[in-house]
Amino acid sequence: MKEYRLIGKRLPRIDARDKVKGRALYTDDISMPGMLYGLILRSPYAHAKIVKIDTSRALKLPGVKAVVTGEDTAKVKFGVISRSRKFIDEYPLAVDKVRFIGEEVAAVAATDPDAAMEALDLIEVEYQELPAVFDPEEAQKPGAPQIHEHAPGNISREHHMKKGDPDRAFKECDLVREDTFTTQSAIHAYMEPRAALASWDLTDKLMVYTSTQTPYYVQQHLGRTLGMNPDNIRIIKPFVGGGFGGKSDGLSAVEFSAALLSKHAGRPVKIVCSRDEEFTAARRKHPASITMKTGVKKDGTIVARQSRAILDGGAYCSLGPLTTVLMGTFQTLPFRFEHFQYDGYRIYTNKPPCGAMRGHGGPQVHFAQDAQLDMIAEELDLDPVEMALKNGLKTGDESAAGFKIVSSGFAECLRKVSEAADWQDKKRTEKNDPKKAYGIGLGCGGFPSGAGFYFNKTTSAHSSVIIKAGEGGGLSVLTGASDIGQGSDSVVCQIVAEVLGLPIEDIHITSADTEITPPDMGTYSSRVTVAAGNAALNAAKAAREALFKVVADKFEASPDDLLAEEQKIFVKGSPEIYTSFVDAVNLYQKKNQGSPLVVKGSYNSPDPLSPTYSFGAYICEVEVDLRTGELTVLRYTVGHDCGQPLNPMSVEGQIEGCISMGMGYAISEDLRFDGGQTLNPSFLGYAMPTANQMPKIEITHVVTDDPHGPFGAKETGEGSLDPVAPAIVNAVYNATGVRIKDLPITSGKILQGLKDKDR
Amino acid sequence: MVTFYRRLPKFDYVKPGSMDEVLKLLARGTNGNFKVYAGGTDVVPGLKRRELEKPETLVDLKGIPDLDYIDHDEKAGLRIGALATVRAVAGSSIVNKNFPLLSQAAGRIASNQVQNRGTIAGNICSAVPSADSAPALLCLDSNLVCINEKGERQIGIDGFFKGPNETVLNRDELLREIRIPPMPENSHGVYIKLSPRSRMDLAVVGVAALLGVEKGVIGHIRIGLGAVSPTPMRARDAEDHLCGKKANDAVISEAAQLASEESKPISDHRASAEYRKMMVEVLVKRAIHQALLGVSSK
Repeated sequence: MKEYRLIGKRLPRIDARDKVKGRALYTDDISMPGMLYGLILRSPYAHAKIVKIDTSRALKLPGVKAVVTGEDTAKVKFGVISRSRKFIDEYPLAVDKVRFIGEEVAAVAATDPDAAMEALDLIEVEYQELPAVFDPEEAQKPGAPQIHEHAPGNISREHHMKKGDPDRAFKECDLVREDTFTTQSAIHAYMEPRAALASWDLTDKLMVYTSTQTPYYVQQHLGRTLGMNPDNIRIIKPFVGGGFGGKSDGLSAVEFSAALLSKHAGRPVKIVCSRDEEFTAARRKHPASITMKTGVKKDGTIVARQSRAILDGGAYCSLGPLTTVLMGTFQTLPFRFEHFQYDGYRIYTNKPPCGAMRGHGGPQVHFAQDAQLDMIAEELDLDPVEMALKNGLKTGDESAAGFKIVSSGFAECLRKVSEAADWQDKKRTEKNDPKKAYGIGLGCGGFPSGAGFYFNKTTSAHSSVIIKAGEGGGLSVLTGASDIGQGSDSVVCQIVAEVLGLPIEDIHITSADTEITPPDMGTYSSRVTVAAGNAALNAAKAAREALFKVVADKFEASPDDLLAEEQKIFVKGSPEIYTSFVDAVNLYQKKNQGSPLVVKGSYNSPDPLSPTYSFGAYICEVEVDLRTGELTVLRYTVGHDCGQPLNPMSVEGQIEGCISMGMGYAISEDLRFDGGQTLNPSFLGYAMPTANQMPKIEITHVVTDDPHGPFGAKETGEGSLDPVAPAIVNAVYNATGVRIKDLPITSGKILQGLKDKDR
Repeated sequence: MVTFYRRLPKFDYVKPGSMDEVLKLLARGTNGNFKVYAGGTDVVPGLKRRELEKPETLVDLKGIPDLDYIDHDEKAGLRIGALATVRAVAGSSIVNKNFPLLSQAAGRIASNQVQNRGTIAGNICSAVPSADSAPALLCLDSNLVCINEKGERQIGIDGFFKGPNETVLNRDELLREIRIPPMPENSHGVYIKLSPRSRMDLAVVGVAALLGVEKGVIGHIRIGLGAVSPTPMRARDAEDHLCGKKANDAVISEAAQLASEESKPISDHRASAEYRKMMVEVLVKRAIHQALLGVSSK
């Protein structure tokens, strides 16, 4: 691989010091003169008609400056996937009906949070309760309560895919397995709750600071729902404390209510959600039931796959229609098979809406796939690593869902982790301790580096970057890419600095401010490094080209013979013939009537599915207490192919974060419901793993040179999650002989499994 | 009806400077008028979540002087003042030396931040079924010194809990001091908390066992269980089965089974009732074995 000056180096984030010292400002840290505090009134019913709302008592309370309900809105529905009308199904404040406990019914703004809270209790809402349905199977039955008029049978989305002839292919297989897997309700639990601060100026322009992954979409959807030109709305994304897909819906009632309250009160309004509002009413991951049938040859070659998924969608679409598709397509990674059929059904229920969450459908189907392949390998007496090697997608392959693989380090990931974890020996270790059992398991993954389309109709490029040169040799970089903690600001700066031979400190980034920065799809779908990175690369190359042209003229050299390094531009092979970067910029201005050097670069994915795919193989080692069923995760050995890691520390951070999140998904995170009521809406009740549960983690970067990624880089933020849970599931089986098909793996399930086995 | 976690409701707040003042206030009160609190780690979130009834006045006990103490006397035993924090008890070398069971249990209560604010007395008065200190204090035959304007009374901890979040304390009464008699001769106690997230979560099951051995026979035995019935409880059938017997695997297994049978757990999001019952058996067995080991290594 080529050696770079900054690319591939373990660099601290450009904002690390600010964050560590508490100087980074998040939405809740921002105040404005005269600012009011807003709060949202939420439905206590899972399904009810709103008969009447009386806000008069609340408005009379001293300190209260505005109260708004659905009646004060333009009654325009929104839905992030706005390309399709039927996915636009939600009012930002409920109109006539509520469909889940926690749905936004009204909002208040007051001079202090106490008055706002008191006012919430003074809003009188008369509801007429309707029969509700909470189970997707029940919801499909005739006579079940109908949640939306437009969706008979409560089907929110169905998606069907077929390739080849799976029915015929199964007949030719040596082994066909069919299993049903179920997964629970899990939630992002981002560290920073959703928050928005809105204010209007006297020319009726709106400015909103918001904790979002997608400022461009918020601008568009706020415009739509407020009935105004989006160009009159400025969305600023300050520092954001994580999103994981929970802040990628294009709009939330938080932003909308802050804007509307501010309009009514004529003062800035800030709304910050509480943690239990987040656990009770925010978007979450789809619980799913997946029936998977896989047919293989004796030697382990996968021939055919047929699967059916029922997704519990909750009350509204959110990004769920896409999840329904992705649970089909994602199961065609990272393995090759020719015959494939998928039938996905997303069902409305009277629970909080499910949307995108890290991996977006991947964790559910990869749990099913890897557990089933582990069972198949055992039945055929094959080694799961060998079987994965045999079936893994290689460079040049196309998956059954049409994913074109332009670079794959999957086989190398498998070989590396198998060796590093001592897989062969440990896999065969005899289990003879009656008290404790030790086990090892494999999980595999592959993930697109960004979707290739916007959710709305637009002519904008997927990512664009503008570079403006300063007189002192520094560069202003403007990007719509949203750093929500994953480090895109740092990566964009790193790329520009590398191309132009500048220190990273000379790159000054402004990101995710819709008034200043060009449109960008936002932070989701693992797209930012490849898309915004390529846009930055293109813009930096344009800047270099413009400067090389004037410098080449000066030296009477060809621009092709110039190099930019160490703040200098010089002739290749003659470093003594150079001009400083600052002089080059000023030379450019002189030659161009003083106009500043401003260049731009854009990027569109060449493939509507995705430009390229990451790969990973994870080996997990666990210890199980056979008396209590307690599960301890001891070690992960990770092989990950994200092309060329731009900053290995950031890549490792993503992998470690994915292991923590995936462990929670596998073992303990589970939102429990009584009807439509969340039973454990707190960090005490929702058992995320703590630091002391984290295992040893050993990461091998499998470096491939991807033809599409900037400097050959691919995604790492989501694909790294998919193998985590199934690796634990398979390790538990290896340790105990208990096969878990329904997540999470509780101690009770392990003990029950041990009991059943003894019978 | 759903209530979302909110800011504190409006109430008056007083911080009296003496015990007399507090008791006078409480004596004047009618039901629900006054709510006392020390660390506030249960009361404040309970009020925000609207799980606790809003009092007219919240009475802060932290202004009372000389209530934050841990005193030890070889003959009289241990005295823990109402304002002694969990951290103080867990970290006390006196407690650790003389009542290791109690330091172990206190050390398993929640995070450092909560330990620094919360009190052991509060842990008992909140009467949460899973309170980590309760099974240990049950095993240690603790006495609770309760006080009102008219005077003091001592309540054995065994008779203190009435139900979830409910104790026999009258509304005008305070728990002033926890008294723990000296450990029986040649005895040892252990506390085992089953919790996947260790002390950062409530116990799925908590088991304390304290036993003394005389001439190879179990002479003194107490088993305390947490999170497996409406109140922290003693496993008396199991104790009776063990008392006076030579400890061997069969007897211990039988006792553990009895403890499981007398437990009355519920199912919740942490675990099912069946799992909890199974765990009582496993953990009582473990606790007794560990306690025996502790005695024999003395």
